Amino acid sequence: MSRIGPPLLVELRQVGKVYHLGESRITALKTVNLSIHRGEFVAVWGPSGSGKSTLCNLIGLLDVCSSGTVRFEGQDVAALSDDQRSELRNRGIGFVFQSFNLIPVLSALENVMLPLQISGVSTAQARRAARKRLAEVGLDDHAAHRPAKLSGGQQQRVAIARALVTDPALVIADEPTANLDSENALRITELMRRLNSNNGTTFVFSTHDQRLLERVERQIQMRDGEIIDDRSPEQPAMRLDRSVGL
Amino acid sequence: MMTWIKLALRNLFRNRRRSLFTILAIGLGFAAVNTLGGFTAYIFTSLKDSYIYAQGNGHLSVFKTGFLQEGKLDPTRYLIDEEEMGVIQQVLARHPEIVVVAPQLHISGLLSNGKVSTIFIAAGRVPSAVRRINEHARGMIGKIQLFDGKSLEDDVIHGIGLSRGLAEQLNLDLGSDAVAMAPTVSGQINALDAQVFQLFDGPVEALEDKLMSVSLKFAQSLYDTGSVDRLTLLLTNDDTTETVRAQLAGELAAEGLKLEVKTWNELSTFYTKVKQMFDVIFLFTFLIVFTIVVMSVINTVSMAIMERTREIGTLRALGFKRRGIVGLFAAESMLLGILGSLLGMVLTLITWSGVAFFKPTWIPPQITRRVPLEVYLVPDYMLYSILLLIVLSLAAASLPARTAARMQIVGALGHT
Ligand SMILES: Nc1ncnc2c1ncn2[C@@H]1O[C@H](COP(=O)(O)OP(=O)(O)OP(=O)(O)O)[C@@H](O)[C@H]1O
Ligand SMILES: [Mg+2]
Repeated sequence: MSRIGPPLLVELRQVGKVYHLGESRITALKTVNLSIHRGEFVAVWGPSGSGKSTLCNLIGLLDVCSSGTVRFEGQDVAALSDDQRSELRNRGIGFVFQSFNLIPVLSALENVMLPLQISGVSTAQARRAARKRLAEVGLDDHAAHRPAKLSGGQQQRVAIARALVTDPALVIADEPTANLDSENALRITELMRRLNSNNGTTFVFSTHDQRLLERVERQIQMRDGEIIDDRSPEQPAMRLDRSVGL
Repeated sequence: MMTWIKLALRNLFRNRRRSLFTILAIGLGFAAVNTLGGFTAYIFTSLKDSYIYAQGNGHLSVFKTGFLQEGKLDPTRYLIDEEEMGVIQQVLARHPEIVVVAPQLHISGLLSNGKVSTIFIAAGRVPSAVRRINEHARGMIGKIQLFDGKSLEDDVIHGIGLSRGLAEQLNLDLGSDAVAMAPTVSGQINALDAQVFQLFDGPVEALEDKLMSVSLKFAQSLYDTGSVDRLTLLLTNDDTTETVRAQLAGELAAEGLKLEVKTWNELSTFYTKVKQMFDVIFLFTFLIVFTIVVMSVINTVSMAIMERTREIGTLRALGFKRRGIVGLFAAESMLLGILGSLLGMVLTLITWSGVAFFKPTWIPPQITRRVPLEVYLVPDYMLYSILLLIVLSLAAASLPARTAARMQIVGALGHT
């Protein structure tokens, strides 16, 4: 029972997700058991429709599961109200989306400031923190630009800065590179890797691009709503059923 | 706070044309309601001034209790005799706010040109007192002469005025002689020589061939009495009408007199009817504007929500609460309401100054002369309009905004 090492951040137990589309039921996740610890860099990969996004959405508290339990920082997510989940997302989780999802009427800097302003941080303080994050992703000279004036790679870097601005415990990136060319895809992945090792921020990112998995320590492979493989390249066997014993 | 208002404002600018049309709809609605409101305010004031001052009816009238209901059946019983008048005068003298006291006796009978005769009804009034009432009128109203010919005089008893219809029926003109006949208060038939001093237009069609105006002394001679049937009182200030009425009623009752005091708007049925009509028109206009504003705001907000579904999902993911989403769209529609109201105020001011500059004239009902058409600026209406339009915009936005706030985040982000 007792484990040495970094504390548990997210825990999924017997988690299933069913979508109702009119009469029909679509099982997106069957029974998933999964534990993610602080500081991990986790890649979720698998074919289209395998349930990667569904998994990311449940871990990111964007959706609630149909069965099983999802715990974030030990807290059963199903027991939280919508407002409490919003607060938890705001302070504890950063999001990077496939299509960047920057607010078009806000400048790059204002986009990065947004999560802080939602939590009620003063404008001056938010601006200072946002500038720092923009510098971190190498876009401090584009602070005043609106998203439409930025390239895809630049937009995604702004989005990463936005995801990190609240110093969240976890960043969820669902296919962050799918809309980027391979060079930018690599750069974004590298950036996330660097932020993970420099700041210790936990990353969960999904992809179906196998090339991006090189040097990712933990890889979760999905198929048909199930995790079929959960391993790190260096220590193949150790992690497979780590969640089962908890 | 400023951040969200800034965000709302920028969002409005995203679809300029749509926002502009909504603001225009609100502005035009605002201007329509306020211009119509300003026009009705002018109409009401004119009718009121015309009744009180131009027609010389004053603010208050004192009758014997029951006169208005049964006065015609038993004239003697409901007349105010000289002795009672003395008591009333004493009470009135205690009130400096009463500036003119004008007794009247309304009569009816037959008017003859020597060959044929026809029915007339007439108000017997003291010409000098009526003139003093006229002189108190503000602006144009007191200066409009409502008749052709010369004015009646207190002591030139035989001078009378005829409505044009009545004069036509008897083939009388200015200067013609006629004879008025009527039963006296004691029941004998009496006749009095008269000369046509003036011709005027009857205020309503039905009275056009019956109405006559005479001096009080003429009326009293014809009825063979020293009594009057009412006292009309002019006050210094319109707003004191109700208070003075209440005071007088109390004081007169304390003197043991069975009298009732009526206000000008209780007696002016025309004013009341016109007011009711304009109130209905106003209500209709208001409802139309209301509907247009609500519909265009609902439309604008719904479209914005549809276009920005993914953005709503993003904001929710970043930690916006449901009420934050409602607040964001509420702020946008409130800005629409505010900007629309501002535009509306400008449009109303333009209309107002246009009317003030070009001074259009018109012939209102019941008056046969051209008079200037005016539109008043009513700050109260403006204030209520602004508040109401903002509240309306908010209410209209709340429905679609609530739906937006209840959207599934994952669905809003668009499942990939
Ligand atoms: N909102 C939804 N309503 C109905 N079915 C859905 C919904 N979201 C996902 N699904 C279904 O659930 C299954 C898993 O979908 P999910 O989006 O998690 O897969 P994915 O691995 O992210 O695929 P992709 O690589 O295409 O993004 C699919 O069959 C999908 O059609
Ligand atoms: Mg997906």
